[in-house]
Amino acid sequence: YAAGAGGGGNDVQWCFSQVKGAIDDDVAEADIISTVEFNHSGELLATGDKGGRVVIFQQETENKSQPQCRSEYNVYSTFQSHEPEFDYLKSLEIEEKINKIRWLPQKNAAQFLLSTNDKTIKLWKISERDKRPEGYNLKEEDGRYRDAATITTLRVPVFRPMDLMVEASPRRVFVNGHTYHINSISVNSDNETYLSADDLRINLWHLEITDRSFNVVDIKPANMEELTEVITATEFHPHQCNTFVYSSSKGTIRLCDMRASALCDKHSKLFEEPEDPSNRSFFSEIISSISDVKFSHNGRYMMTRDYLSVKIWDLNMENRPVETYQVHEYLRSKLCSLYENDCIFDKFECCWNGNDSVVMTGSYNNFFRMLDRSQRRDVTLEASRESCKPRQVLKPRRVCAGGKRKKDEISVDSLDFNKKILHTAWHPQENIIAVATTNNLYIFQEKMN
Amino acid sequence: MDVEAKRIMALSISKLYSLRTQRGGLKLHRSLLLSMTMRAARDIYHTAQLLRDAEEEQVVPCAPDAAPEEPMEISKDSPQTLTPKEVAMKPQETVEEDKENRCASERHSRKRRGKTALETDFLPLKKAKMETDEEKQHLQGEVLRTNNGNSCRQAETLTAFPTNRTIVAC
Repeated sequence: YAAGAGGGGNDVQWCFSQVKGAIDDDVAEADIISTVEFNHSGELLATGDKGGRVVIFQQETENKSQPQCRSEYNVYSTFQSHEPEFDYLKSLEIEEKINKIRWLPQKNAAQFLLSTNDKTIKLWKISERDKRPEGYNLKEEDGRYRDAATITTLRVPVFRPMDLMVEASPRRVFVNGHTYHINSISVNSDNETYLSADDLRINLWHLEITDRSFNVVDIKPANMEELTEVITATEFHPHQCNTFVYSSSKGTIRLCDMRASALCDKHSKLFEEPEDPSNRSFFSEIISSISDVKFSHNGRYMMTRDYLSVKIWDLNMENRPVETYQVHEYLRSKLCSLYENDCIFDKFECCWNGNDSVVMTGSYNNFFRMLDRSQRRDVTLEASRESCKPRQVLKPRRVCAGGKRKKDEISVDSLDFNKKILHTAWHPQENIIAVATTNNLYIFQEKMN
Repeated sequence: MDVEAKRIMALSISKLYSLRTQRGGLKLHRSLLLSMTMRAARDIYHTAQLLRDAEEEQVVPCAPDAAPEEPMEISKDSPQTLTPKEVAMKPQETVEEDKENRCASERHSRKRRGKTALETDFLPLKKAKMETDEEKQHLQGEVLRTNNGNSCRQAETLTAFPTNRTIVAC
């Protein structure tokens, strides 16, 4: 990874680059962004929304004459990935909301991604067409057949350039693998298989085979009354194709080795931190539930996000995380109100930068947090239409937990809990980040000198 | 503390109820968390109730007709202080409370109607001491591990969605 690019979250100054989405405050539910993901090169950025649509942005090739302007992301392709469905047997509606998008590494000219809603996973092929054949022997250009009597010579069609067309087509549809709601998918480093997880089960699929999958984890109790925890996320190890982890609603992470046994109900490692008894409350269970788990790029660490904190775990140490960062500790005394307005159930994601030195996660009031591991510093930034001038540097934000509010600080009670940043993504190599507010996608870049 | 517990209990129940009508089917994770919180609150509330009433009974002459189940429960578990008569709760409050629980259970599961007499299962089996956090933790842990069944069965009931209901497709 580029040496300077991924380093030091706080040496880096972030500035506004672009914002995508409607400006008006009246947000249509279908436009609510539900997932954001860069592809492996960072050239493409995909978003999924509640309306089942996928929008892919492409980074323009760099403008050599204007080195200050890093290239922009523009719409590349838009398609309807999932539609609402109705399960007649259970009398249930299946939401079209895209829960996750994961890119496959590029193998040829086309791009592939997996997108999933609650029940169905789809493999999409996104390909470019910039030429078309012209000069058919028997057909006119508009497709009508020529009168046979007028054909006196033989001609062979040739490819002529045309306006670029980007086509998305569903190549595989993986159905009926899940009884419960799918919460995550993860592509294996072998590029042949992937995992999908719902509340109680994790399935292993082969990308070529849609009519069956292999169940690798099943935590459904024989008696549902004894249910005490559910699976909240799963991810394959970035390099070891036999290893994956899954997180639970009880704040534990289990690492499984598919070589050890076909069914991975028994974990190889269990990562769990003992609870701090002084923090116990009615809501301890809820806030310890892990909403996201992500391996570091180097495969040595993993990061988990629960309601109030981000934890970094060393894969060789199971009994406690090596680092813990408070995202918004000032909310601990507000848990009852957050329970009332359902915010306590919000599932925040987290992500690593390219060289694993900085992690990022979202918060409320359109704030997001950059946590610098190497320098042990953190900063709170805001995605706001007010800081939208090109290359405008983002100013650090501060929340006043109590007592006297300083100038430029915002008090906890003034935070807007409807403005939440649940989904963020970091370019795999450069300091470019994509931050999703409710219905807008902000792209920020490192300040270039 | 128990005022808050009661509020959280009521809040949890109404949230669990509204889960049924949400689009996309039962969210297992959400209903599990709500159930756990509801039970934790319920246990604190009941424990607080018991203590309060026990304290009051030591000061005030007891009422002769007490709700039969609860005193029995207490005498079993707290031999050191209370006799069944002394523990006689304010009958109204007990009945009210049972009503509250009864309503909640009924709302969620028709199967539970015959089981209201067993609602004292909710009461902690250990001595009703509320002092230490540790104790509370243990109580909660114990309740969560035992098969009280109210909320988890509810989850099951919700999953087996009654198909004779008409669902209006949006």
